Amino acid sequence: MQKRAPVKRRKENFAERTMTRIWEEQPADHNPYVATSCRCHGYDLLDLMAERSYVDVLYLLFRGELPTEDQAALLKALMIGMINPGPRHPATRAAMNAGIGKTDPVHILPIALTVMGGGHAGAGDVEAAMRFLRGHLNSDPAQVAADLLQQESVDQGGNGQCAPPGFGARFGDIDSMAQRIADQLLALPGSGPGLRWGCRFAQALADHRSGWLNAGVAAAVLVDLGFRPRDGAGLFQLLAAPGLLAHGLEQANKPITAMPHVDDAHYVIEDR
Amino acid sequence: MSSKTASTDTRLWDKQRDTIHSGKGGWLAGKGVFCHGYSMLDELVGKHSYFQVMMLNVLGRLPERRLADWLEAAFICLSWPDPRIWCNQVGALAGTARSSVTAAAAAGALAADSTMYGARTLLEGVRFIRESLADVEAGMTAGEIVARELRRSRGKVRIMGYARPLASGDERIAALEAVTAQLEFPLGRHMHLAYAIEDILQREYDESMNIGGYVSAFLSDQGFSAEQIYRLCALCVTSGVVACYIDARDKPADTFLPLRCDDIEYRGKPPRNLP
Repeated sequence: MQKRAPVKRRKENFAERTMTRIWEEQPADHNPYVATSCRCHGYDLLDLMAERSYVDVLYLLFRGELPTEDQAALLKALMIGMINPGPRHPATRAAMNAGIGKTDPVHILPIALTVMGGGHAGAGDVEAAMRFLRGHLNSDPAQVAADLLQQESVDQGGNGQCAPPGFGARFGDIDSMAQRIADQLLALPGSGPGLRWGCRFAQALADHRSGWLNAGVAAAVLVDLGFRPRDGAGLFQLLAAPGLLAHGLEQANKPITAMPHVDDAHYVIEDR
Repeated sequence: MSSKTASTDTRLWDKQRDTIHSGKGGWLAGKGVFCHGYSMLDELVGKHSYFQVMMLNVLGRLPERRLADWLEAAFICLSWPDPRIWCNQVGALAGTARSSVTAAAAAGALAADSTMYGARTLLEGVRFIRESLADVEAGMTAGEIVARELRRSRGKVRIMGYARPLASGDERIAALEAVTAQLEFPLGRHMHLAYAIEDILQREYDESMNIGGYVSAFLSDQGFSAEQIYRLCALCVTSGVVACYIDARDKPADTFLPLRCDDIEYRGKPPRNLP
């Protein structure tokens, strides 16, 4: 224990107002708290509603400009490809557990998205995958793969935990759907160096039961569309949200017996 | 490295498919509720504190009562009902938006999963004090450690566990030091080093240890790993978050720091027409 220094407020220069470059709201003349118009990066929200697609406005929100047709088509295809992690994914199962457990429906999506934030088969891998891809675009993917394989970096346990972020294996094998989604995205005119490099890299891993994971596919597309790595995790959650919510709500009106419940015979308490 | 074969070995997953293997415990109907080998209702309820059982669930072993009491005191220090703290403000906003108290508590806990404050900082705080102790035991001095850290941060005091946002000094440490003494915990090697580092920072940079640094050093002296300490403190901000939620929830909606349109400074593109 020693003499404590007195506590003093730091003289930090905090902003007087929160600043944004994204959204502008015009107040009503009669009430400064009520907005009468909203603009997204300069475009009137009602005009966007009338004339542009949801995909266009989503891109605009994050990138500050409207996408080209090719960019919009690529993002739209990714959004569909990633719209549902499927009923076996831990995040979807969390949603379904919440639904069948009669959790307040407003919590189903946050619960599922929290699980979706994990670093295995989830959003927690996307930022690192974007950095990995951006950092290797000028390298030979086959050589990068060979180096990694030589270092035994590709996980042999089956879940790709040691593979580079965005790549690896699911249940001991190549994730065939991730591979097919990547191939379909690569064929689009909006695809770019991220997807091309990733496809060649996945090809180099294929003999070792590794390849694309969904997080990697999303990362590659987001790199090609100019998103920043820090955008990646949240966008990946956003892409998966519709499927997570749909599965959760599907269970919400069913009795608790509508999903399996592990009986005592199959519940083993291990001695440690 | 495995090479491609015709059939994948899926035994790892096959044997887990319909069976849960718990290393923690569980409820077996008619037999009881078990927690790390203890019968929860016979051996834990009414005999041990909530914090002891919480620590048992994290660590897998029942700690002595005074250690659980110390952690409980630390939790009091780590959360207070001031909505200017970021996680607490999340709670207040949940209140003014009429979310549920449970949603507010969960959202606040998530907000504090931050690299700037909250339990996650303990990961780095513990890593620092543990590695520094190893360096000292290998011959370095506390002064050399401080100098090395300052070189890494270009002269600024950015050592996890020292300095803090908004203020210099940390009044919570004296309170927790008193608890440490009252519970008769001796100062361990990590804590001695933490104080030695603080001496230098106070003398030369007018900065001191923060509560995270104190908790990191104390719990390291108890033999816990960084991950164990992070897990123990996962919900350490909940009390203050809930307080701030309730304060806002019990007032009219939208009255917690309401914003006029011009309270947001727009610096983006000027109005433009769609192409």
